[in-house]
Amino acid sequence: MLQAFNFRIILEYMPLYSQCFMATLWLSAVSLIGALLIGTAACAMRIGHYRPLARIAVIYIESIRSTPLLAQLYLVYFGLPSLGIRMSEEMTGILVLTLNSGAYMAEIIRGGIQSIPSGHIEAGIASGLNYFQRMRYIILPPALGATLPAMLGQAIVLVKDSALLSLISIMELTRAGQILTSERFMPVEGFLTTAAFYLLIYYILKSLTSWSQKRLIFREIH
Amino acid sequence: MGNTGFEKKITLLRPNDIKPTFFKKIAAMGIKDMITFKNVNKWFGKHHVLKEINLNVEPGEVLVVCGPSGSGKSTLLRCINRLESLQSGEIIIDGIKVHGRETNITKLRAEIGFVFQQFNLYPHMTAIENITIAPIKVRKLKKEVARKLGQEILDKVGLGDKAGSYPSQLSGGQQQRVAIARGLCMQPKIMLFDEPTSSLDPEMINEVLDVIRNLANEGMTMIVVTHEMGFAREAANRVAFIDEGRLVEIAPPEKFFKNPKNERTRLFLSKILAR
Repeated sequence: MLQAFNFRIILEYMPLYSQCFMATLWLSAVSLIGALLIGTAACAMRIGHYRPLARIAVIYIESIRSTPLLAQLYLVYFGLPSLGIRMSEEMTGILVLTLNSGAYMAEIIRGGIQSIPSGHIEAGIASGLNYFQRMRYIILPPALGATLPAMLGQAIVLVKDSALLSLISIMELTRAGQILTSERFMPVEGFLTTAAFYLLIYYILKSLTSWSQKRLIFREIH
Repeated sequence: MGNTGFEKKITLLRPNDIKPTFFKKIAAMGIKDMITFKNVNKWFGKHHVLKEINLNVEPGEVLVVCGPSGSGKSTLLRCINRLESLQSGEIIIDGIKVHGRETNITKLRAEIGFVFQQFNLYPHMTAIENITIAPIKVRKLKKEVARKLGQEILDKVGLGDKAGSYPSQLSGGQQQRVAIARGLCMQPKIMLFDEPTSSLDPEMINEVLDVIRNLANEGMTMIVVTHEMGFAREAANRVAFIDEGRLVEIAPPEKFFKNPKNERTRLFLSKILAR
């Protein structure tokens, strides 16, 4: 098989791959940041004391988590134009990935917040810290530290899910594999290269996570 | 009490506005309690936890509260800084109604140090960060000022060299002393202790009790829920016994231990002193 493996064709298509790699990278990065923001907001709404907001958050989270991403993608891609809203493919892709990942992020953050023992929160209350001070200084730092591994997992899922965007003709890594396959009929070379680039993104994310775990958020895990 | 006209006047004054001479005048008028319970009732659902509690604690007084588990001692303590709500009656701290609607509760809580049975130190902060976070954020002290104060208080509880340690690096007794320092760093008027030695190994109990004893000698107003009867005997001004939500007996330690009036107090004491 290795004899049949055509390295030259990969080199020939490398400009396409690097362009698509960058596309996957920025689509995922923007969606990830969006998902963190939406996830934090949805989580805050869900655990907050205002009932209507909590219900909206629950409906959002449950409907996203119980339906396939592909169905959500098609719904937005075909549904929005029929409502008269026009968006580029990239914007559609980012919107869907953000909303989808945001729902999972909300649950991850909620899990982290609820893992903080109530005694620590009571200690904060007893010393006169207000709600936002307790969130900022007592609850969120250890909660984020505890949820970083789960967030890394969700970030990797998001990157892999971005492969579906090839179906709405966005030029990204999986699309590059498809192009190589259809133009030269070399699926093994095409998709192995695609997979190798995804692996590269995984290692970037992993090292970013362990770096931030060590320095940024949590100096020591107990 | 009962001097309602004066009481109203005092609630309008912030503690800092009151000059020492004014304080003396008020004391002369007979309004002198730091903590007052008036007909306090508390239910958890259908469970009647506190029944008609009437109690007063004078400034500088050390009150030890004891009683069987589930009798409502912890709840009594937690009501004082409104970690729990009341169903009827009221608690007044230094002239301010704790459960009043218009009460600025975070401001009041800053005046009350609370020490938990489980220490509840923030695990992601060092000892000095644990004790200076509230002074910096609530009292708005400058960071350097708070650190200096925090270091002084850590020295006082005998942990001056542990400022940079995380809670997980400290023993139970050391953690509880940091927790006491955290309360003291707010320079409170009152310290409340909820079974501060109950989750400690026996050899660490004394180091924590010594710190509390020193505070008592300095004239801090304190309520200590504990089963350490030796501590109650020597450090308390009065000892209270609570059973099934009722304040059964309250007396100075000599009287309380030698000659308890109530049968249930006698029974409890015979059990706990036989250990």
